[in-house]
Amino acid sequence: MHPQTLIKTKQAEKNINGISTQVVCSEFSNYIFVVLTQYGKIGTLVSVTPDSRTGDICTPMYTTKVLLGKDEALTHVCAKHLATFISQESGNRPVLVGLALKDSSIDSINSMKELIRSCQVW
Amino acid sequence: MSNAENGECAVGSAEGSISVHNFSEKLMEQVIHFHVMKLDGGFFLWVGTAPVLSNLAVSMCSRFDSTPLSSLVMGDPSDPTPNTLAQRLTKRTKKQVFVSYNLPGSHSQLSLLVEERIKKELELHPEKF
Repeated sequence: MHPQTLIKTKQAEKNINGISTQVVCSEFSNYIFVVLTQYGKIGTLVSVTPDSRTGDICTPMYTTKVLLGKDEALTHVCAKHLATFISQESGNRPVLVGLALKDSSIDSINSMKELIRSCQVW
Repeated sequence: MSNAENGECAVGSAEGSISVHNFSEKLMEQVIHFHVMKLDGGFFLWVGTAPVLSNLAVSMCSRFDSTPLSSLVMGDPSDPTPNTLAQRLTKRTKKQVFVSYNLPGSHSQLSLLVEERIKKELELHPEKF
């Protein structure tokens, strides 16, 4: 018997700027869970939540919150930059991001964004 | 370049790939789904009947105590089930464990059966965790 998989996941691996980078995206009804790692670990957990008040009048604002790990400004920037499009494309679902990066230069982050896009589960 | 972080728990094998493992079991007249994501030095485990992520607990070994440390990262703090489950799995595997437990927390008998089923899977497929 094949257990039907309830949680849709997609994963990819790519060498970005000389560093092996892995992405796993999982779809939950109330969250999109993204693990983006260069250490093989979940690392810092950040939630990116759209502000419900803005509704469909304009594009929503996003609140980032470090749930686990070092609360640095750059972590918020990376998480927001990487996860906003996921939320927008998934019907404004909040995104939970696990970030463990050795390299967070803008070029690398943009490549990672493409890697996440290749694992679209939403 | 060294990848060895200060791993107090189990030190993971040479930077392996993340792998995902799903299984399910009928317990107390309902099909319970299990979803495991194996990471370096730890794993993420989701348990539920519908694809919601309503809580998340983390647990890891402590240098100062034989009982693993655990913390609820997301969800209702009045339900201790995700925390206890994560803690017990860390105790067993010596790994960092993330648990999302999406079943009624009040149902203690069900949570025992769930735990038994996870233990069985840990014995059958230790390489998946």
